[in-house]
Amino acid sequence: MMQFHQVFRVLTSHCRPQAIAGLRRHKWSQAIAIGFASLLLSWSLLSGTAWATTPQTDPTKPQTPDPAPSIQPYLDRVMDRVTEFRLDNGLKFIVLERHQAPVVSFLTYADVGGANEPEGKTGVAHFLEHLAFKGTRRIGTKNYRAEKAVLDRLDALAKQIAAAETAGNSAQVAQLQQAFAKAEAEAVSYVQQNEYGRIVEQAGGVGLNATTSSDATRYFYSFPANKLELWMSLESERFLEPVFREFYKEKDVILEERRMRIDNSPIGQMIEAFLDAAYDKHPYRRPVIGYPEDLKNLTRQDIANFFDTYYVPGNLTIAVVGDVNPSEVKRLAQTYFGRYQARSAPPKLTVVEPPQTKTKEVTVRLQSQPWYLEGYHQPAMNHPDHVIYQMIGSILSDGRTSRLYRSLVEKQQIALSAQGFSGFPGDKYPSMMLFYALTAPNHTVDEVATSLRSEIERLKTEPVSAEELDRVKTQARAGLLRSLTSNSGMASLLLEYEVKTGSWRNLFKELDAIAAVTSADVQRVARETFRPENRTIGRLLPQTS
Amino acid sequence: MRQFPWPKVRFGRKLVRRLSVGFALLALLMLALQPTPASALTPKHYTDLTFPPLPEVQIPKYSRFQLKNGMIVYLMEDHELPLVSGTALFRTGDRFEPGDKVGLAGITGAVLRTGGTQQRSADTLNQLLEQRAASVETSIGATSGSASFDALTEDLADVFGLFAEVIRQPTFAQDKLDLAKTQTRGGIARRNDSPNDITGREFEQLIYGETSPYARVVEYATLDNISRDDLVRFYQTYFHPNNMILGIVGDFNSAQMRSLIQAKFGDWQPTKPIQPALPTVTQANQGGVFLVDQPQLTQSYVQMGHLGGQLNNPDYPALTVMDGVLNGFGGRLFNQVRSRQGLAYSVYSDWGARYDYPGMFLAGGQTRSDATVPFIRSLLAEMERIRTQPISAQELAYAKDSVLNSFVFNFQDPEQTLSRLMRYEYYGYPSDFIFRYQRGVEATTIPEVQRVAKKYLKPENIVTLVVGNAKAIQPPLTSLGPNVKVTPVDITIPEPKAATRT
Repeated sequence: MMQFHQVFRVLTSHCRPQAIAGLRRHKWSQAIAIGFASLLLSWSLLSGTAWATTPQTDPTKPQTPDPAPSIQPYLDRVMDRVTEFRLDNGLKFIVLERHQAPVVSFLTYADVGGANEPEGKTGVAHFLEHLAFKGTRRIGTKNYRAEKAVLDRLDALAKQIAAAETAGNSAQVAQLQQAFAKAEAEAVSYVQQNEYGRIVEQAGGVGLNATTSSDATRYFYSFPANKLELWMSLESERFLEPVFREFYKEKDVILEERRMRIDNSPIGQMIEAFLDAAYDKHPYRRPVIGYPEDLKNLTRQDIANFFDTYYVPGNLTIAVVGDVNPSEVKRLAQTYFGRYQARSAPPKLTVVEPPQTKTKEVTVRLQSQPWYLEGYHQPAMNHPDHVIYQMIGSILSDGRTSRLYRSLVEKQQIALSAQGFSGFPGDKYPSMMLFYALTAPNHTVDEVATSLRSEIERLKTEPVSAEELDRVKTQARAGLLRSLTSNSGMASLLLEYEVKTGSWRNLFKELDAIAAVTSADVQRVARETFRPENRTIGRLLPQTS
Repeated sequence: MRQFPWPKVRFGRKLVRRLSVGFALLALLMLALQPTPASALTPKHYTDLTFPPLPEVQIPKYSRFQLKNGMIVYLMEDHELPLVSGTALFRTGDRFEPGDKVGLAGITGAVLRTGGTQQRSADTLNQLLEQRAASVETSIGATSGSASFDALTEDLADVFGLFAEVIRQPTFAQDKLDLAKTQTRGGIARRNDSPNDITGREFEQLIYGETSPYARVVEYATLDNISRDDLVRFYQTYFHPNNMILGIVGDFNSAQMRSLIQAKFGDWQPTKPIQPALPTVTQANQGGVFLVDQPQLTQSYVQMGHLGGQLNNPDYPALTVMDGVLNGFGGRLFNQVRSRQGLAYSVYSDWGARYDYPGMFLAGGQTRSDATVPFIRSLLAEMERIRTQPISAQELAYAKDSVLNSFVFNFQDPEQTLSRLMRYEYYGYPSDFIFRYQRGVEATTIPEVQRVAKKYLKPENIVTLVVGNAKAIQPPLTSLGPNVKVTPVDITIPEPKAATRT
């Protein structure tokens, strides 16, 4: 849909991939990107993450052609090609064989994200992700022994500087900073910058990157199939003996990243304010990239503590998808990842968001055309109603036949885009269903809000049509089928379901759940969810000059 | 699959044979009964690993033929999944639209699909497709137009029929033109909301010139000049079978597909071939520093560069090796500007070659306001360094190996190969262009990189654009050199005429 593409190119630029891989993207920025992109690629891989299921239609409803018989055997064949094993230390592997081309995609999924950060240490999960590209005791250094001594000295100086700053002793601060600069220059002299990434790319690795969301930290790239053992060696060494070097310079890089994503992006600021209002207690309220003050205060020890607590083998899951022999993967995994020591499980996040009791509203005024946001709390991904929320999102938002498009965009022409999706900003814990709309010229957020609300209310008062239900069921099924052509996409989906629902099989099993959804289910969930006291409203309005 | 080293056993001949059979069996057994003994393998540092060669790249089988009406067709069967997709390229582009109707091509490309067909209303068409999880989409970009479809195998005939209808019998319904205009107006109103977007757009205009077909943008005024008749005329000028390349990939039988194509497109009459002249390209500003003042920003968005080249330049492979030395995780910009100096999250350069007109060489990124001048200096220093000093053997190896070792990813799925073949035919490139490129990279040497860097990077012609907070840029941009003059760029959006409210 070039039409949307052209219009929304303007709007999505804040989440467009950079020419050089930035080292991370927030889940929410992906979600927003998905929101826009879904008009373009309704059932792409990305939306697959938010909506990764394959239902069977009810065979008693012959209203639309039922492709299930033709698709199911292909899905069954894929399930048959999945193997899984757990090492003695607790590290779990999922392997999907796909021999179409001599390439393999790898994804290491650490079950830890922004939500797990201690108070006052926001940004540490993401900071760690950046530092996981800095190498090991043997990669990224010219002389680790000498380097380590300087790194320790730098940490001691940083501590003294902080103390001197607190004491207001500016003369001492200046003196210490001089010593710090000198030590930093010395440390840099031992560093082989970005050697880890250099090795991967030079060996033919593509797509090297990582993402941190509220829920998880994911490290990924793909290799030609003859480099399986190279990945085993590099990836196991990466988390066996990581060295968090160049910490202080990387802090500057991350502060730049925060400026780019939040401070200089009106919608970035809007979302930070919206989450802050929408959640009272749950850490979903905090920005994954971290508050600037927290970022400034983070120390290398904070990173190391976080790593020691959460990067234990039992908290990591790895997917290998592509042209591999599963028994060889297992043999090599035992050899390379078997080196990790089993460790005690990390603490579970126990914070529960209290039920919301009244509508919340937040308005920000920035140099931007208006946006309207409306969110409702919903259960987590492992709740049985999860699929119903996804279907509601799909009925309202996917394609030119979706309700919000037909009503707000096409008929009334009050919005340029209007969509909703579930699982914001994550879906491991109870989260939110978020709707957003961009006003068309000469129309206001209030007009958009009224029309959006009437479409949401309609879900409560009228059963959705069988045709609509069938459509979203068929589209979900075809969506999963289409995602099977991507090794990296499948790696991502398998792990999302494995970690968040307990088994990768649920990716496929959700078909049955979706096939079983009725219009009464949709109505029930709509009534439970779309209540004024469960609502948060966000308005991004132009600055009044 | 893979070869495993087995112990050599030296006994009598017979014994050897029997033993080796035994060993082979044992080996199979050992593989089956995981785990293998711990002694079988020890973890190796990456430097100690060797790799078996990859199998040679396999080009998927395909057929190419031409209908009597001139339509070129590529067919490539791929039976992995029950899916079929296709794309038709049309020789057109927004570079051919009149300057007072900027936006015409893009809107024609959109309404071609959204307006419905002579047989079916837009609503019916949407319903028919989405109920089958299928799609038909059309668009017109700078240098080509395209129509595409995506369907489950079992819906192929139906969806292909709709695809042909959209291409051959569009109605360009007035209400959908109005919708497209509303959407475009919204885009105009919002085009300054993102500093990144301002930077990209304004930089193109500084290089190509603001009236150049490669840089001009739609305005309320040019939009108001566009009527339904213009859409119909634009469509009629370029949408013909002899102006089209169709490619289909997926789960179909080629003979049946061929008859289906013949049935749906065979009776489409060709017209006189049209060959509009390509716009001429010259660099609009031969250097200079430009500033878009955005007082709300805490970062500067920097883009620097000049006119680039074309993909068919024999020096292109060496230029991409130069790019490779500068970019990527192991590239100089990432190492120096980001990791060593901590000046940016995003920093890049790009020798932006195009198929049939000169692209842009550019370098840039984002940095905090007070680091703007150091950031620009760092980029200039890297450009100077690669022009004047030979790169190291390690850097050459990094840049070349990254391309050559990942070459197989250009052949991950058949669709990549098909769209490449179509693109090459569309622009008149040889069908083995990608392999020529591969050989070019293989042949690139250190002196070659320096030669092309010296020849193609022109510091004296570099245009620098900064979108940022003028007051906070300290030291100021004037400190970049003795006679640096900073030219402000006004990005105020020209107002719509009062009467165009919707």
